[in-house]
Amino acid sequence: MDDAMNAPARASETRFLKETWFRQRRPFHPLAWTAWIAAIVVILTLTRNPFYLALVIGATAIVGWRTAAVTEGEQVVLLSPLRFGLVVVTTAALFNMAMVHVGTTVIFTLPVWIPLLGGAWTLEALVYGALNGLALAGLFAAFTVINRVVPVRALLRLTPRAFYPVAVVVSIAVTFVPTTIQQIQQIREAQAVRGHRLRGVRSWLPLIVPLLEGGMERSLQLAEAMVARGFASGGEAQDRWPQVLVLAGFVAIVAGWLLKLVWRQPLGGALLGVGAVALLVGLWRAGRRHPHTVYRPDLWHMRDWLVAAGALLAMAAYMLPVFERSTIFYYPYPALSWPVFDWRIGLATLGLLAPALG
Amino acid sequence: MIRLEQLTYTYPGAASPALSNISLDLPDSQLILLIGPSGAGKSTLLRCLNGLTPHFSGGALRGNVRVEGLDPVAATPRVLSRHVGFVFQDPEAQFVTDRVEDEIAFALENAAMPPQAMRVRVEETLELLDLTPLRDRPLKQLSGGERQRVAIAAALALRPSILVLDEPTSQLDPKSAEDVLNALVRLNHDLGLTVILAEHRLERVLPYVDSIIYLPDDGSPVIFDDARSVMRQVELAPPLVTVGKALDWQPLPLTIKEGLRFSRPWLTEQCARAGLGPRHRRHFAHTGAPYLHAHNVKVRYGGQEVLRSVDLEVWPGEIVVLMGRNGAGKTTLLRALVGLVRPQSGDIRIDGKPNTGRDVADICQQVGYLPQDPNTLLFAESVGEELTVTLRNHGVEIGDWRLEIERLSDWEIGSVGETGANLQSPISQSPNRSIAGLLTRLNLLAKADAYPRDLSVGERQRVALAAVTVTRPGALLLDEPTRGLDYATKRELERLLHGWRDDGMAILVVTHDVELAAAIADRVILMSQGEIIAEGEPAEVMATSPLFAPQVAKLFPETGWLTADDVLGVK
Repeated sequence: MDDAMNAPARASETRFLKETWFRQRRPFHPLAWTAWIAAIVVILTLTRNPFYLALVIGATAIVGWRTAAVTEGEQVVLLSPLRFGLVVVTTAALFNMAMVHVGTTVIFTLPVWIPLLGGAWTLEALVYGALNGLALAGLFAAFTVINRVVPVRALLRLTPRAFYPVAVVVSIAVTFVPTTIQQIQQIREAQAVRGHRLRGVRSWLPLIVPLLEGGMERSLQLAEAMVARGFASGGEAQDRWPQVLVLAGFVAIVAGWLLKLVWRQPLGGALLGVGAVALLVGLWRAGRRHPHTVYRPDLWHMRDWLVAAGALLAMAAYMLPVFERSTIFYYPYPALSWPVFDWRIGLATLGLLAPALG
Repeated sequence: MIRLEQLTYTYPGAASPALSNISLDLPDSQLILLIGPSGAGKSTLLRCLNGLTPHFSGGALRGNVRVEGLDPVAATPRVLSRHVGFVFQDPEAQFVTDRVEDEIAFALENAAMPPQAMRVRVEETLELLDLTPLRDRPLKQLSGGERQRVAIAAALALRPSILVLDEPTSQLDPKSAEDVLNALVRLNHDLGLTVILAEHRLERVLPYVDSIIYLPDDGSPVIFDDARSVMRQVELAPPLVTVGKALDWQPLPLTIKEGLRFSRPWLTEQCARAGLGPRHRRHFAHTGAPYLHAHNVKVRYGGQEVLRSVDLEVWPGEIVVLMGRNGAGKTTLLRALVGLVRPQSGDIRIDGKPNTGRDVADICQQVGYLPQDPNTLLFAESVGEELTVTLRNHGVEIGDWRLEIERLSDWEIGSVGETGANLQSPISQSPNRSIAGLLTRLNLLAKADAYPRDLSVGERQRVALAAVTVTRPGALLLDEPTRGLDYATKRELERLLHGWRDDGMAILVVTHDVELAAAIADRVILMSQGEIIAEGEPAEVMATSPLFAPQVAKLFPETGWLTADDVLGVK
């Protein structure tokens, strides 16, 4: 369509070659990546020990660097994890120091009559804030890596069959966003051409009307195209059982959870189990309403075992009482102390490096 | 087997039916072309074949439709998807996934085809449309023609016996269009697939079709017959047929090959009788300063040289047509001229004023630019409003232009419309009159209060044109202006551009439409890979190029003729 838009397409020819090379090396299974990101989320939520945080972030960086070599430039990086990290660590440290006036190592003191900010500003609060910021930055970096290596569509393929229509809708939304951005650009240019300058909120009106109308037309067109190719959004089956089962299962799970945790009733556990079974059966029945198969399903290889095992190992070290886990819960208050490093947990954390080996 | 009996369809809320009383009996395994004026209901008719109408549009459908023995209304489009493959005008708007293979597999996945069989089917379908080398490619990296072929492959994945296409080549350059049409012909010949396609550019498709459905917009009955006899009966015709009919060639030629059998002897005869030189075309003498001036313009885009050292000059009072394949840099050049793209180096001047340091809005007071999709321009409540918004954007104060229209419609319309005298007066004197005058000239006066997006394709384009020319720019740039226009609307556009040119406007048109270029160009420029590769009078440049030669030039080589008017003027 647009000459200028074709140019990057041609430029990406080389990129495409790189991609096929990557394909020969075979990307990891999306489930393996899911295990990896789950492990990182769990660890970063649990620990505030700077040593472990550093290990996780280091592993993420190495994995990110190894995978960047093959998918380089594919996606526009909106925000580099490094810059995000710097910003978030500083803000979190300053914020925590300004809000939490606990700790013994006082840096300076503001008069108490100042609301919120008044009181002692301590080194402990600074350190704890910075550690929280570091954990956030680690999460951001890990998701940046995932976003680059796992296509959204591959993740969507993991959704249960019952949710297939939803998955398709999401996958379309994923492509809809870039086209919409492109369209905004086109409309903005078209309006500039007739002397339109963007100032103030009112001046956005000329952009919004064509965008909405164009968006509506495109959605309808896409819906038609999908139905013309046999896509069923469901709803024609008379079978009400799946819906009933899913709903009942959900209610049972919530009730059971409340009973077990809040009122400590043993019945809660049983109810939880029944609810889960009902939910699964319901989903399975619903899935049969949308018969569909998958073209070239992702295959699970030896290497995927490796990644999954590494991630599970790391996660287990933090969640299960295998090792002495007190070193995980580092807490600088009331007085700053040197964090303790358990080499066994540290070693297990290195399981996160598995994707960098393949 | 498709049978329509007394099909009448009315859109919800519409006063009159979009299709009325259509009875058709379409045989199997033919390549059938659907033609008709814009707005005659071609898309609606095609959509009835797989039930998209009325399932998506609502409205009232009466009469009987039978496709492969099924009633699309009762059976739903989803069931029909096994029998009718459907390809839409814009390939991008119908893609569900982002890779070639996945796009083809989509329909099969929905049909729950076993993975083993699916692999085979995808393989065959790729093979069928020569897409095997592209199988792993992201769709956004493909060219327009390739994308349309993927869309056809995706529609054929379920092995329907009927393939329906709604203007599949309207966005493609001549070569890509030919690739797509060749693919269709092969499918029709090799597999016996019934192909039904709607198309405006008859010169592209006529050689390939077996029969034609003509859908009129004036209530007269639908015509369905073999291509030759329909062409004899209807007004819509490519230049070859227009010439053939005027000179009474029997049987009426539909391909250049058939036409040459008549044109050669006719030409010899004419020469003997009259002594024949090339028809005199308006020869333009370049005097004074060019209005648009680009010198050594270079544009890089994502590491790619899109324009390499382009020189271009357009003088007031000439129409220059810019042609070339998709991706040659034509659109980028237009965008650079109005400042939407900033060149890395080079000098662009509009009426002597350098572009550097001016914003797009400022430049566009001097240059009207009509982008590819005129819909992106339209947002106001009424046609008249679209014009006043532009004026207000440029800081021109306006009063009540409606009063002016009323006054004008009483006594002045004729003179303003025809002489264009109103265009000469400076804008500041009477913006109201300029709005009324422009609307008259564009034949939109009656629609001044209509909602722009409810209008027909041709009218919407004219509204967009009005919105960019109401400031009376000295130059006008048009990008692909004939997309989706029928011959009559195209004629109107040609007249309009000629009128503006004669008033001294400098006009630059980018188009894939060789017949339009032949009809309007004073000068033709060919671009390839960011460079200008040929430039000159249309007769020199176009007649010799196999891709860009209009039908008449192929029919009468070495005469310098380009359009049917050139030939018939001689007679």
